[in-house]
Order: sequence, then C-alpha cells, then structure tokens
Amino acid sequence: MSAGSGKCSASGGSVRSWSSATSVSASGKRIQKEMLEFNNSPPADCSAGPKGDNLYQWISTVIGPPGTPYEGGVFFLDITFPSDYPFKPPKVIFKTRIYHCNVDSAGNINLDILDNWSPALTISKVLLAIRTIFINPNPYNSLVPTIARLYLTDRAKHDQTAAEWTLRFAR
Amino acid sequence: MGSDSTMNVASAPALLKDMGKKKRANRSAKLKQCKLDARREQWLSQVKSKGGKESSEGGSSPSSPLRLNSERHEPLISLEPRSRPEEAEDSSLHDSDSESLTNSPSNDCRKERHASCGSSSSGSYSGSVSEEEEDSLDDWEAIADALNSEPAARTEPPAVLPTPPKCPPKPTSMGVEGIPRPTSNCRAWRPDDAFRPQSLPNLSKQHSFPMNSERQFSSRPGNWTRIGIMSTPSSCPICYEDLDRTDTSFLPCLCGFRLCLFCHKKILEADGRCPGCRKPYGPVEGDVGVNVGAPLFRLSRSCSMSTRY
Repeated sequence: MSAGSGKCSASGGSVRSWSSATSVSASGKRIQKEMLEFNNSPPADCSAGPKGDNLYQWISTVIGPPGTPYEGGVFFLDITFPSDYPFKPPKVIFKTRIYHCNVDSAGNINLDILDNWSPALTISKVLLAIRTIFINPNPYNSLVPTIARLYLTDRAKHDQTAAEWTLRFAR
Repeated sequence: MGSDSTMNVASAPALLKDMGKKKRANRSAKLKQCKLDARREQWLSQVKSKGGKESSEGGSSPSSPLRLNSERHEPLISLEPRSRPEEAEDSSLHDSDSESLTNSPSNDCRKERHASCGSSSSGSYSGSVSEEEEDSLDDWEAIADALNSEPAARTEPPAVLPTPPKCPPKPTSMGVEGIPRPTSNCRAWRPDDAFRPQSLPNLSKQHSFPMNSERQFSSRPGNWTRIGIMSTPSSCPICYEDLDRTDTSFLPCLCGFRLCLFCHKKILEADGRCPGCRKPYGPVEGDVGVNVGAPLFRLSRSCSMSTRY
C-alpha cells in the first residue's frame, strides 16, 4: 500500500489546496473530461454545459420525450458538482416547473441513481435517467404523493395536467 | 563476420593508440607483407616435408609452432625486428596484446586471454614480450591458416599460394588476418544475424512465453474468464488519471471494475462500495490488492471474500 498511500497523500494535498472552482483538481479534471465526452456524444434530447466560467456550475436542458405529456417542453436543470465529485453525486435541480411525481415544487428530483450514486456514473447518465422518468415516472418512490396517487388511479387526468403544465411552463 | 568479431576484440586497445595510428598502418602493412612471405615459405616447406600430417598434430599442441619456428622461420625473425623500432613502446604492447588475442586457437581461450590482457595492459606491461613469443604467435597464426586451408592444400599444394592475397584487404591492423573460420564457427549468433540458422530457438519467443502462460491462466473457465475479458482501461474511470502499473494490476472487485488506488482509497473512506457493481469492497481488499507480484492469488482471495455477499 506504500505506493498508493503516497499517491493519495500527494493528490489529497493538491485537492485541498486547489479548492477554487477554476483549479485543475481531481474533480475538475473529471468534470472537464465529462464535458468533452458529453459534447462529443450528447445523449438524445439533452444538452449540458457550464453556466459561466465555473466548471462546477452547469446548466442543462432536457426536451420532453415524444409520446409523453411532457412532449415539446424544454426543461432547464441546474447541475452543481460538489468539490469531491465524483465521489459525491451532483446536485440536479429542475429550474422549470413540471408536473411530475418525482419532482417537487422546489425542483428537487427523486432519482435512484442520485440517491444510490456511484462514482462511475456521469452527468450524461444522470440526464438519461431524467429522461427515463419523463417516460416512466416512479410513483412508488415519489416526492409528490398526490401526483403519484393520481398517476396510479387516473392516468388520463394526470397526463392532461402534466401536458397543461408543460405548455404553461416549459414552452 | 570473422573480421568483425576480431575488430571488436581489438577495439579496446585501439582506443588507446590513435596517436601512432598512421605509423602503425604503415608498419602493419609491412608486417603483413612479411607474414605473408613467411607463410608462403612455410607452406611450401610444410607441404614438401610433412604434407597432411601437420594438420592432425599442429592445431592443438603449442610445441609445434615453436618447433616450426626454430626449424624454418628464419626469415620471419629477421624481418620482424626490422619493423619494430619505428613504433612507440606502448603501441607495441597493445600490438602484441591484440595479436595474442586474435591468434589464439579457440574462442574460449581467446576470451580468457582477452580478460587477462586487459588487466595486465593497464598495469606494468612495458614491452616485455619477447621476440620469440611473438614469433611463436605468428606461427600459431600461420599454422591455423594452414589448418584451415588444409583440405585444399592436400590435393593441390600450389593452390595455397593464392590464399594469402586474400588477407591484405582485411581491416587495418596486425593479426587481423588470423583465423576467421574458427571464430565464426564458435561464436554465438546474434538474433539479427543474416547467417543465423533458422532452427535456432528465437529469443523473443522465449521471452514472451511466461506472458502466454499467464494469459492461459487468466482465461480459465469460471470467474477467470470474466476477468480476462474485461479490458484494462488506460485511465481511471473515476478521476481520468492515467493508470500506472500498480493501478493496472489492481483489481479490487470481482466485477472487474478497475480504478486507481487513489480513488479506491477515497471510496473506502466514505462509501466503501465498488462503483461498478455497488457491492461493498471487502475489508482486506485494499491491502491485498496492491500486491503486484501475485495478482492471481489476490484474485482468488477476493473471489472467496465476495462469495459472502
């Protein structure tokens, strides 16, 4: 373990001293790489990138998938990378209001891969997962129980309300 | 080829004697001529008196050159001292060194002599080589040449005469006209040698053998195949830093997910689960995993540990 610990202490020190957002720390390098890969092969109906010159603050858009009540809507998300990313999950928040049982009124998302985070995941996979819950909401693990209940009991009414919200907030 | 190897042997002394180089080239040409003459004479007399008998006894016994010398090498003795006085003392010493090197009958013996000469030439070797010894060395050479061309000489003695002119074009200095054939027969083949027999084993193949066996090992059925199939990433999928050799041989989880030791340690400090399969890392894993020398043993141990889950 001698080599590993030496490497750890060196890198750990550099991480601590390079806490600013513009640094080339371990998380910064990882985020830069993710940005490159994201731009090279962006997932369908998704875009993401740093808001300004802060690598840890991203803004992202997800287009509502066709065949869902969110179709045609453009949903903005704020992505905040923690300084110990990717060991901690990014914080993803909906900036656009959405009628969805897994997204509360403050924009917090109930996403299993964010709760059960793995450092091997990337922001591109997170956006794909978000796109998946557009298609298949998870009412059994919801942030907004009333919407989940409606989704299970009266799907048509749920879809209608969701489509109305999309039209109102996401166009 | 033969001259090549002899040149290598002579190269060490050659470094020391570049000062008297021109002189020597001059001198060595003379020497060569003398030797050629001597050899011609020797051959003529040899063929006359002894014929093929010489070949059987001459090569190995050191007494025969001496005897030959005393019998019929008067011209050589008389010629050699004439050329000597021109040269500096140290160059004469190196001369005799390399002559003794190139003229010794067998390769092994030659190496030993080379070593001994190398040590002695650095010390006090101030030209104490006696004339007689040099002559005997010349005779060695002559006899070796005689032995080499013996088959031809037996049937047709005059055919030996054309052989000496072959020697002068050979490179620079004294004694190079020694025995090319025996040296080339005894030497080891370089892998890139054009004359290397095809049947000799290939060194690179031999080197790659352990790797092959290891590969066979890792592609055994069961868990091994999964690990064998997993391609090793060139950079850590977590931090995107390049994986060094330790990292590459580090396989902390049975699922085959590889990462650098740094990221592994960070994960162990907090989450403790494999990023690939989200199963908790085994407690001993970190310590065992760094063992570069025995990755297979480490794998087998990690297998047994993860069966608990």
